[in-house]
Amino acid sequence: CTTLYRNHGYVPTDEELAAVSIGDTRDQVDAKIGRPTTSGLLNDVGWFYVQSRFSYRGAFEPKEIDRQVVAVTFTESGTVANVERFGLERGKVVPLSRRVTESNIKGIGFISQLLGSFGRIGPGIIGAQ
Amino acid sequence: QSYSFSSVQVEGNATIETATVLSYAKIGRGQEISGAALNDAYQRIVNSGLFESVELVPSGNTLVIKVVEYPQINIVNFEGNKRLKDEELATIAKSQSRRVYSPSQAEADAAAIAEAYRQGGRIAATVDPRIIRRDGNRVDLVFEITEGKVVEIERLSFNGNRAFSDRRLRQVLSTKQAGLLRAIIKRDTFVAERIDVDKQLLRDFYLSRGYADVQVLDASSDIARERDAYFVTFSIREGQSFNIGTVSTVSEIPNVETAEFEAVQRIRSGETWSPALIDNNVTRMENLALRKGLNFVRVEPRIIRDERGGILNVQFALVRGEKVFVERIDIEGNTTTVDQVIRRQFRTVEGDPFNPREIRQSAERIRALGYFSDAQVNAEPGSSADQVVVNVDVVEQPTGSLSLGASYSVSDGVGLNIGFSEPNFLGRGQAVSANVTSGTDSNAASFSFAEPAFLGRDVTLKFSTAYRETSSQNAAYDTQSFSLSPSLEFPVSELGRLETRFTIGQTTLSGVEPTSSFILQRDAAREGITTSSIGYTFSYDTRVSGVNPKGGVLLRFSQDFAGLGGDESYILTSGLALAENKIFKEEVTVRAIFEGGALAMLGDNPSRVTDRFFGNGKIRGFESNGIGPRDLVAENQDALGGNLFAVARFEADFPLGLPEEYGIGGGLFLDIGSVWSLDDLDGGTTANGPGAVDDGLHLRSSLGFSVFWDTPLGPLRFNFSKALVKQDYDKEQAFDLTISTKF
Amino acid sequence: CAGFGGSNEKPLESYTAEEIYKQGELKLETERKPDEGIRYFQEVERLYPYSEYAKRALIMQAFGYHKGKKYEEARAASQRFLDLYPGDEDAPYALYLMALSFYDQIDEVGRDQGVTFQALTGMRDVIETYPDSDYARSAMLKFDLAFDHLAAKEMEIGRYYLKRGNYTAAINRFRTVVQDYQTTSHTAEALHRLTESYLALGFTDEAQTSAAILGFNYQSSPFYDDSFRLLKGKGLAPEAKGDGWLARIYRQMLRGDWI
Repeated sequence: CTTLYRNHGYVPTDEELAAVSIGDTRDQVDAKIGRPTTSGLLNDVGWFYVQSRFSYRGAFEPKEIDRQVVAVTFTESGTVANVERFGLERGKVVPLSRRVTESNIKGIGFISQLLGSFGRIGPGIIGAQ
Repeated sequence: QSYSFSSVQVEGNATIETATVLSYAKIGRGQEISGAALNDAYQRIVNSGLFESVELVPSGNTLVIKVVEYPQINIVNFEGNKRLKDEELATIAKSQSRRVYSPSQAEADAAAIAEAYRQGGRIAATVDPRIIRRDGNRVDLVFEITEGKVVEIERLSFNGNRAFSDRRLRQVLSTKQAGLLRAIIKRDTFVAERIDVDKQLLRDFYLSRGYADVQVLDASSDIARERDAYFVTFSIREGQSFNIGTVSTVSEIPNVETAEFEAVQRIRSGETWSPALIDNNVTRMENLALRKGLNFVRVEPRIIRDERGGILNVQFALVRGEKVFVERIDIEGNTTTVDQVIRRQFRTVEGDPFNPREIRQSAERIRALGYFSDAQVNAEPGSSADQVVVNVDVVEQPTGSLSLGASYSVSDGVGLNIGFSEPNFLGRGQAVSANVTSGTDSNAASFSFAEPAFLGRDVTLKFSTAYRETSSQNAAYDTQSFSLSPSLEFPVSELGRLETRFTIGQTTLSGVEPTSSFILQRDAAREGITTSSIGYTFSYDTRVSGVNPKGGVLLRFSQDFAGLGGDESYILTSGLALAENKIFKEEVTVRAIFEGGALAMLGDNPSRVTDRFFGNGKIRGFESNGIGPRDLVAENQDALGGNLFAVARFEADFPLGLPEEYGIGGGLFLDIGSVWSLDDLDGGTTANGPGAVDDGLHLRSSLGFSVFWDTPLGPLRFNFSKALVKQDYDKEQAFDLTISTKF
Repeated sequence: CAGFGGSNEKPLESYTAEEIYKQGELKLETERKPDEGIRYFQEVERLYPYSEYAKRALIMQAFGYHKGKKYEEARAASQRFLDLYPGDEDAPYALYLMALSFYDQIDEVGRDQGVTFQALTGMRDVIETYPDSDYARSAMLKFDLAFDHLAAKEMEIGRYYLKRGNYTAAINRFRTVVQDYQTTSHTAEALHRLTESYLALGFTDEAQTSAAILGFNYQSSPFYDDSFRLLKGKGLAPEAKGDGWLARIYRQMLRGDWI
């Protein structure tokens, strides 16, 4: 069976990236390559552009086969300090912790959920034998 | 001047508390207040809407607030209303019993009721509120209604229409001219909003026939003197009809060539121009771009007009759309369905480039779930210029159905059936259905479970088990069968899906009378047979992909290999090919279906009647077990079924011209096919001796028309059919009622 | 006509407001369904519209409807009470009842949280208009719980994207929780999930910052030692090991968990 591919995220092309130079301000970077897909935690010191390509083969778990990451880090004064480009190799396979913070509102019970959505008269009633 | 009051008194208030009046007045004791502030306090008390009259009387350093309260409404009553019932009017009127009576509110209610009548076409309706004083400052409110007659449209006329006759244009409008059936048909009443809809309908009618510059100028409606009829005239400026000239594709995006896009478009030059044609091709090209994973690609149709020749040259330009990203996907209204069941219908992830075509396809997938009566997906501006929030508003509808029933039939005796089916179990998108039916001599039980996103992937896990005992309705033998089958179904290509399954089952044939054919008696002699088989079904469906929004193709090919374990080994192959398309401006759907099946026994023993094909429900016009080889020598000539079957069905569905709200449509069908070929041919019975069974290929065909009716129970289909070519021993059936199944 | 006329008018007419009110109270306590009790209170209000009992009957109607889970009518009755008697000492209870009617309808995290927003605004009204009433305190508690519930929804969607490997979408959701919902109980987990996502993308320094913030503020939270172990490369806490194929099917398909 053939493999299906899907792209997610967006990374500026090399020509666009070449235009960004050390010392640009955030607005200049925004004008040249647009806003980041995501950014660092503390007052967006780092702007990160991520584009990944997944391959879907039949019933198997989709695999991320290619990822391009562009990291634009800023100095305290808000000018570009460094532009880094790397791929999947630096990513780590991280086992996700299954601990979940329980929410204390339980919502409606099992039975009322089940009965809550009744009402459609099934066509089965008049179907032939 | 200014005042200061040491104390404030309220007089005349019965229900309303003094504290309440003071809280509106907001005048502190001993506080300096000017004349203007006093007036503000007065205004506030009046605006509370609780008092008929308010008076502020400063006397010395005490302020007296004299109020007269509105009376309380005891009961609200409607007289003279025939068309609209009391309950409907009660919801329109805001004044209700036990509330404060206010004349302005009563007037507003009267106007609202009159408006409701106007909507129903009764322009001349009048409503006036009256009060009956009761003791204890209470009042009864009565609305006296004179409904007047319905105002109908006597004549619908057009001017400026050279290309199409008045009669043809009248069919296009949703408003109808009052004719013989004026009492029943509601759409001949005059409603202003519907006239605007008609202007749009006229415009679309002309546009889809090539009149690119059509203008529906206005629709003048003047009323007859006796105020009981309307004359509506539409004035149209048609302009000229255009055909398609040259069609070209050009790409303005680096490293995107036009060859592939050229291949996808379907316009031939010389065709009459219509916006739908252009739209259709833009959809095809943008879907192609979506499949190739190109970001920010938009197809812009550019029209170059050639007035004299009546030709429009179309150029499809592949343009770099502006870079917009999806900031968030917010899902609202899902009171039963869990968020991820809807979210996983999106191939776009938060942060991805925004592709309107993909969002529209995801909206289609959400609607196809069938859990919602309405699902709106639209993009709203996000927190910055180049970001957008995709907003999904769904309205849930009840999906579960619980059926409890008792049935009595002469042959079966008293039967009890309990059915439970829930396609959206606990809102998780899982489909669970279980039912048990039991009669004196026929009972069945089945359970099935399906998880559409097994382990979060686009893989459907199905598990179904069924136990079934059939008694002698259409055949003089009883069968008892049990089957259990888990299956996994997953995509193998963009439009293809593969289902792999394992089935294990046990069938027993019993109750064959001596008058039945030897073949059946030999089958019965083999008692219970277990079959375990693995199988696959490959299906390829282009109707959903939107490549050709008007129709599509469905191919399905499945094979089951029985033999590893179990008493029988055979290969059961079946196939289905369906092609459908919409013609005549997408109102008529024509469909051709080819189905076939072959059962090849591998072991030495012949196929059994419970394994063979009977063509039930495949060829209309015949009873179930109505066709196929029979042992003509035996007295009891039950159908024996066949190892091979092939059927071709040609159908056309079309509207019957009734208004959409009735949900009734019509259809014609022609079925041709047959069931044939047996392994074991020597039939006959002990009484009449042996006799060969004719298992040759004899074509049967039937012609008929069907009526579709969308009811809350589900889409019903009434088939009226006449068998054209048949064998004399076949059993015909002129009418049957089924749930119209979707492939 | 309005439905209350006819036979049962006479006997009620002859009772005083207090007797009907007491009868209503009795019915509300004894019967499971509040309709009977509410009917009596409505009669009090209709027959004696000026009495002290009419006022108390109105608030008792609101209470009855709420007890019978008829939230729409409960809100309508409370609103009428507030319109007629804004200054009354039962007014805080009426306002609180309106907010409570939304709060009791809040559903599981996976479902529509529109009601949660309404509950939040309702509770804030109670806290702001009647700050010193004893209902303000329980309103504050319920406000925090509802706010926490909203954070739980953001986390649920974040985990959805995390499990499918869309790390940037997950990071954006978890950052919303850390920035807009710091006071809730989910911030610790959000920081840990950020550590996981940044690490998966290869931003090791960002992963360390979020783990450091987690350690600084939530030293005792189990999520902190998950992050700590993750960064030290020793894998996660032992129970993550029991992640067999069947265990995942049971968790995700039968129990309906998302991760």
